[in-house]
Amino acid sequence: MSSLIASVPVFVFLVVPTLIVLPMAFTGSRYITFPPQQLSTEAVTGFFSDQAWMSALSASLQAAGVAVAIAVLLGGTAAVALHGRTFPGKAAITGLLLAPMIVPAVVLALAFYQFFISVGMVGTVLPIGLAHAVIAVPYAFLTVRASLAGLNPALVRSASSLGAGAFSVMRFVYLPVIRPGLIAGALFAFSVSIDETVIALFLQSPNATTLPVKMFTDIQYNLTPKIAVSSAMLVTVATLGLLVQVCFTIRRRSVARLLPLTAPEQTG
Amino acid sequence: MTSTVTPAAASASAGADAPRRRRPRGTWLLLLAPVLAFDAVLFLTPLGKLVAASTHGDAYQRVLKDPLVSRSLLNTFEISALSTLATVVLGYLLAVVIWRRGPLARVILFALVLLPFWTGVLVKNFAWAVLLQDNGLVNTALQGLGITDAPVALLHNRFAVVVGMVHYLLPYAVFPIFAALAAIDDRLELAARSLGAGEASIFRRIILPLTVPGVSAAGLLVFIISTGFFITPVVLGGPGDMMIANQIDFYARQLTDFAGASALALLLTVIVSVFVAIYQRILRAGGEYEAG
Repeated sequence: MSSLIASVPVFVFLVVPTLIVLPMAFTGSRYITFPPQQLSTEAVTGFFSDQAWMSALSASLQAAGVAVAIAVLLGGTAAVALHGRTFPGKAAITGLLLAPMIVPAVVLALAFYQFFISVGMVGTVLPIGLAHAVIAVPYAFLTVRASLAGLNPALVRSASSLGAGAFSVMRFVYLPVIRPGLIAGALFAFSVSIDETVIALFLQSPNATTLPVKMFTDIQYNLTPKIAVSSAMLVTVATLGLLVQVCFTIRRRSVARLLPLTAPEQTG
Repeated sequence: MTSTVTPAAASASAGADAPRRRRPRGTWLLLLAPVLAFDAVLFLTPLGKLVAASTHGDAYQRVLKDPLVSRSLLNTFEISALSTLATVVLGYLLAVVIWRRGPLARVILFALVLLPFWTGVLVKNFAWAVLLQDNGLVNTALQGLGITDAPVALLHNRFAVVVGMVHYLLPYAVFPIFAALAAIDDRLELAARSLGAGEASIFRRIILPLTVPGVSAAGLLVFIISTGFFITPVVLGGPGDMMIANQIDFYARQLTDFAGASALALLLTVIVSVFVAIYQRILRAGGEYEAG
């Protein structure tokens, strides 16, 4: 019982900083304090009519689009390819697939920076999206692999023995099983890309400044309500992700199922 | 659905039946090729270029002689150790509380842990900057309670960095510790109680020893993530709280010394890899521990 009481401040510590950005987005004053002095939607309308913030939002969505598409496609196919198969070198391949999660973001940022300059790909959102795809692929791979854990490989063999071709096996055996994994993988990839700051900071250009990079730059000078609006949007995305994850958890009746998805990642 | 098949049983049957497999042999290679090609071009090649860049001139010697680098290495170690300690203690408390609840309360409490987990670091750092500023909620509360008369400097110092980092890291500690708790056989506690053990001795002699692998895994995981922190020291810290990631950025984007930056980046990667290797060893040992 005493541990329950002691944990209340820790839960408050955990949740409050995430939640206060919502009311802060509706503050009336130019500089931010919490609790807000007067409420208004000025900052919200200001945010959506601000050219710089809108182009940052659009850059972020484009990068996330590239990252999600690549991560789901490549992570999904990799998980299916390795499912129920043992061969020498499998551990090494799995290690390679997961390695981008372990390399610190700043190291990747520097590597990508030098790489994209050397191949002449700078100044657009595409390199940011590709870089985000590299760190998002492992997430999609893990979620799809987790959804395949319940699939008996004998099912695949019996389908082929009954005359199903590779395409039919994919369409009728794998796809229904991996669909939740694909959705979760897409969500993780989106979340990874939309919040990623360090790589996007290194690869930024006047035409390709993502939302977190714009926030990072602005926070260092001023705590303005527009940063709060941007934060509130990101918290909304996070809440949606959380809801989907909780729904999956309840359906699977096991919190432990979440664990494979919480591997090392990101940079604070 | 055959969802009752365990992964172990599934792979065993796959092994036994492998010679009779009728799936076209090349299909899985075709499925694997795109991701391998992608990682080769966009992951291994950039890292290879980084390694090559670090060997230009005397980058390693130059970097290691820089007093700013030793300072930021020391900072990284101090801040990471402090944050890890606080995170593991608080994470243990949260994990125990969640573990003691029923299924519904568990989901709700887990959601409270997962919300910040899903939220990006900038949102959290921004919130802390607002909360910890001179006229922020924390200072107002401290003055309202009569603890201080004037605002306390809570922002742009090491305290703020550790607060921000612990907030970011807590979910990463809760999950492994909770997994270790969930693996404990309920009957152990029952048996101990029937033999007259009190709450304190059950915790000290059963729960704590059985969760040691989970706690070490959590501590290492949190420490590994800590060493790469970049944003939080800039937003919440002062000039003296620069960590190794900030030093890499400084070398690359301020000094445009890419050889030096690459050398530092490789140094960081090697340090992290060592800890990752130990972490994986603990995870494996933890698995045997649960089985036995």
